[in-house]
Amino acid sequence: MVEAVKLSRHNLFNTHIIPVNFKYFAPKTLNEALELLDKYGKEAKILAGGTDLLVKMKMRLVEPKYIINIKGIRELNFIKDEGNQVRIGALTRWRQLEKSELIKNFFPSLYDAVKVMGGTQIRNMATVGGNLCNASPAADSAPPLMVLNAKLVLASKKGEREIPITQFFKGPGKTVMEPDELLKEITIPKPEEGSGSAFIKVARTSMDLAKISAATALKVEDRKIVMVRIAIGSAAPTPVRTPKTEEALIGQPFRPSIIREKVKLVVNEISPIDDVRSTAFYRKEVSKIIVEDALLISYERASRR
Amino acid sequence: MSSSEDPYALMEKWLKAKEFLVVGKGVRRADALEKAMGQARFVEDFYMPGHMLFIKQVLSTEPHARILGIDASKALEVPSVEGVFTAKDIPGENQVGYALPDQPLIAEGKVRFAGELVALVAAKDFDKAIEAAEKVKIMYDPLPYVLDPLEAMERKDILVHGEVGSNIAFRTKVRKGDIEEGFSKSDVIVENEYRTHHQDHVYLETEGALALPELGDRLTVISAGQYPHLVRAIVARVVGLPESNIKVIIPYMGGGFGGKDDEGPLVAAKAALIAKLTGKPSFLMYTRDESMLMHPKREATIIKYKSGASRDGKLQAIEVKIIHDTGAYSNRGPFILWRATVHASGPYRVPHAKVDGYCIYTNKVYQGSYRGFGNPSVQFAAEAQMDSLARKLGIDPVELRLKNLLRPGDLTITGQQLNESVGVADAVAKLAKVSEWSSKIKAYSSSNGRYRRGIGIGVAWHGISTSRGVPDWSNALVKIEKDGSVSVHTGIVEMGQGSPVSSHRQIASEILGAPLDVVTVDFGTTDAPDTGATHASRGTSIGAIGVYVAAAKLRERLNKLASELLGTSPDEIEIKDGKAYLRSNPEKYISWKELIKEAYSRGVEMSATGYFFLPKGKFNDEAGQGYAYPAFSYVAMVAEVEVDTYTGKVRVLRIWPALAAGRIINPTQVEGQVEGAAVQGMGYVLMEQFVFDNKGRILNPNLTDYVVPTALDAPEIMRPVYVEDIFKYGPFGAKGVGEMALIPAPAAIANAVSNALGVQVTKLPLTPENVYFLIKEKMGKKA
Repeated sequence: MVEAVKLSRHNLFNTHIIPVNFKYFAPKTLNEALELLDKYGKEAKILAGGTDLLVKMKMRLVEPKYIINIKGIRELNFIKDEGNQVRIGALTRWRQLEKSELIKNFFPSLYDAVKVMGGTQIRNMATVGGNLCNASPAADSAPPLMVLNAKLVLASKKGEREIPITQFFKGPGKTVMEPDELLKEITIPKPEEGSGSAFIKVARTSMDLAKISAATALKVEDRKIVMVRIAIGSAAPTPVRTPKTEEALIGQPFRPSIIREKVKLVVNEISPIDDVRSTAFYRKEVSKIIVEDALLISYERASRR
Repeated sequence: MSSSEDPYALMEKWLKAKEFLVVGKGVRRADALEKAMGQARFVEDFYMPGHMLFIKQVLSTEPHARILGIDASKALEVPSVEGVFTAKDIPGENQVGYALPDQPLIAEGKVRFAGELVALVAAKDFDKAIEAAEKVKIMYDPLPYVLDPLEAMERKDILVHGEVGSNIAFRTKVRKGDIEEGFSKSDVIVENEYRTHHQDHVYLETEGALALPELGDRLTVISAGQYPHLVRAIVARVVGLPESNIKVIIPYMGGGFGGKDDEGPLVAAKAALIAKLTGKPSFLMYTRDESMLMHPKREATIIKYKSGASRDGKLQAIEVKIIHDTGAYSNRGPFILWRATVHASGPYRVPHAKVDGYCIYTNKVYQGSYRGFGNPSVQFAAEAQMDSLARKLGIDPVELRLKNLLRPGDLTITGQQLNESVGVADAVAKLAKVSEWSSKIKAYSSSNGRYRRGIGIGVAWHGISTSRGVPDWSNALVKIEKDGSVSVHTGIVEMGQGSPVSSHRQIASEILGAPLDVVTVDFGTTDAPDTGATHASRGTSIGAIGVYVAAAKLRERLNKLASELLGTSPDEIEIKDGKAYLRSNPEKYISWKELIKEAYSRGVEMSATGYFFLPKGKFNDEAGQGYAYPAFSYVAMVAEVEVDTYTGKVRVLRIWPALAAGRIINPTQVEGQVEGAAVQGMGYVLMEQFVFDNKGRILNPNLTDYVVPTALDAPEIMRPVYVEDIFKYGPFGAKGVGEMALIPAPAAIANAVSNALGVQVTKLPLTPENVYFLIKEKMGKKA
């Protein structure tokens, strides 16, 4: 059992202030972490990269009683090629994804997202698991993983379960995870032969949260669309797939004029809002553009392979 | 003072210098290493938690309300809390308005914007201070409030400052010739309304101060600020002590941009107040959200602009109405408005001009100093007008500008004749060449397709020193120590711009002939004579004259001494490379160290101050005519952009800057200022904006949702074109650079977007949402 440590806050003031009292744990193994979650889960927060959690704590948007820092759990940090699928440990940092040839070659949409998520400093700290569990509608990893048919492995003391990423998000900051569960890994099937994928984000600066984002995966055979998946971020309470648009595209000839016509349907499958980052109107207008763009890039990439 | 030490004569003498040892060279700044190594100390680094009181601010949540009462009882129960302090605890004056006496340090009787300071809580533990601050209860009686400046101008029933009787805080005007005549001579007339928005300074380091009580009712304040002597004056007024009892030290600062010229004295006064009342060292540092909610912003403006020109492209008349939303307090708003008013024409000859300025109170965060000081917004309007005229006249925009730009001997719109140091036309002509303006404007004007390129130019001027006849001076203390090292003491601060750690050293070294590495600058201190502020691009111009003159006095003494020792006349003496020698016979010399030793043993004073009072004329407020500034710096910028017409996203690809700012003392530093200002200006145009709610509260007082450009967003910025149009009252002819490249940035970028889209931009910011709307609107018009 790990000893609870009260953090010394001697040198923490001004912008470094975390004006919250909490107990701090730093488990070294997955089992230790799951034990702690079993005990404190409801009032605990997991600290992985800290790039979201610490900001929220400084702003007192969350005031956890317990912090479980999982940074030290080595077994959760890996990228493994298993032939027909790739497994990514939840603690894998974005910078590791960026440097992985595997990600770059097989999952170009995820690689696109990695390249535009924060700056190098953030990518050095932030983890892929943290990005998902934070459950922001703007999470950069979500749309690509959704079109790549990724699955998530959730672990607790009671055991493990695997769910498709499309069933993971419940609302802003909310997931289907139970308080005693921890995201362990992400598995992504290698894309089928002849398919391509892409991710596009519109943001205020190069290191910003998305105003709106979209990922697509596409396969064209005999000039006809035989597989298409579309996911949109920052346009609904969670990142969403757009099944009706996908359905309308299936079987259609891959022609720019047809794509342009059909992608207009995505507007009916999202429910963006006005906020400090953008407007509902703009998000709707631009969703069509970036889905179309992403489909064209996906197509190009598919034909290149 | 001997006549050989007359500052004007000394300046004239050194202005003639043709060859330089260190001036004009990209000398490395003295603080480069310690900053790169993380060793440089900023205000926060002097705080010792647990050994000093930590101060937390209680801010108003109401835009306009009477304060019925303040209940601190729960806060005072929190352990380690020293006290809760309000306006009634202020021993001196609760008045900190710079231009008008309309602003309390701590709200008294009523609050005028959400974010105004109502109480200060001090505790030994900083987390207890935060906890206690949350337990201070303020009872408000909400009053009706007004947020829109146009509405505020009209209303008499809702008054931000009841005693004023109107929400118009201040008015300005310029009148030249007869605009009716001017417009009747005009073949084309264009009229537009422009809108610009607030901008936050987003300095890396927020406002902070540490006040240390000393024996004998004295106080030492280590504070952010851009003018140590002003910080001291405000502290003295609030705590009720003579200025001589207060010492202010401004250490390295993480950015100022004008924001700390306004807020610096206030943060210092708050810390000093607590130190005075408790007798204990007291530290206050704003959190980012406090900083963004409280400190003054770049002015939000509405500018109505009418211009007329004859068919030959000569400007005939302008009529301009400038409205500044000054927010809850006038702060430096009247000065900012004044600057905007006299610069309204842009750097052009305009025979007939009528300009009116209004500074309007609203129940929002107040406006203040920000790099460019009222000028970027009005130059944006003036330059958009020039492009609109060019389009109507069928004249190339650069050509139209060249036809009208000020040249030596011309009159400004205030009737001031500019006889020298007017290099703007030369700069613009050179800029057009290096940016390949002619070919690009032709190519881009007919561009179509999704991604459209555009090119735009902004030309601007910026008066040197304070406006009108407001007194301005410089000073410094320069000492040559017994070992030959040189100490320079100046009030100019180091906030990243580098003047005390680069150009001041160069100037002292150049004039004394002393090696650069023996010169040390003690900056930002009231121990130096009052040097004036580090604002208005004056750090290396007016601000450095003190060093220039003091060093020149010492040089006269050294020349005289060396000539006596070497048996020649003072004019024959050259000092460089660590020795003083005969110009005609370098073999006959005395080493620098020996020379200084001799000075000390022969009774030659080796310390001097460099007081210089800037000669100025008078402005007639009634007539709207007269003297505005001793000279102007000129700046021009060409921007090349690409617009994604499907998403409205604008990318600035390249920026070409040009400066006619007198002598360039340190080109490396100048490039840093130009690049920083250009990117800051680009952020203002494309990304930055505050979102206010219906109570005038800022909804995004944080760096998640108030975004500034990142390194990845920065365009390619080309080497500046320099036209060294020497100014007689600047060190070696320098005029000032710090603000310059920001001033034409909104104009250049907006005009480039206008060029790409074929529609004149009149409103900032150019966020994708706004640009998308412009595109749709234009397509709608076509259909």
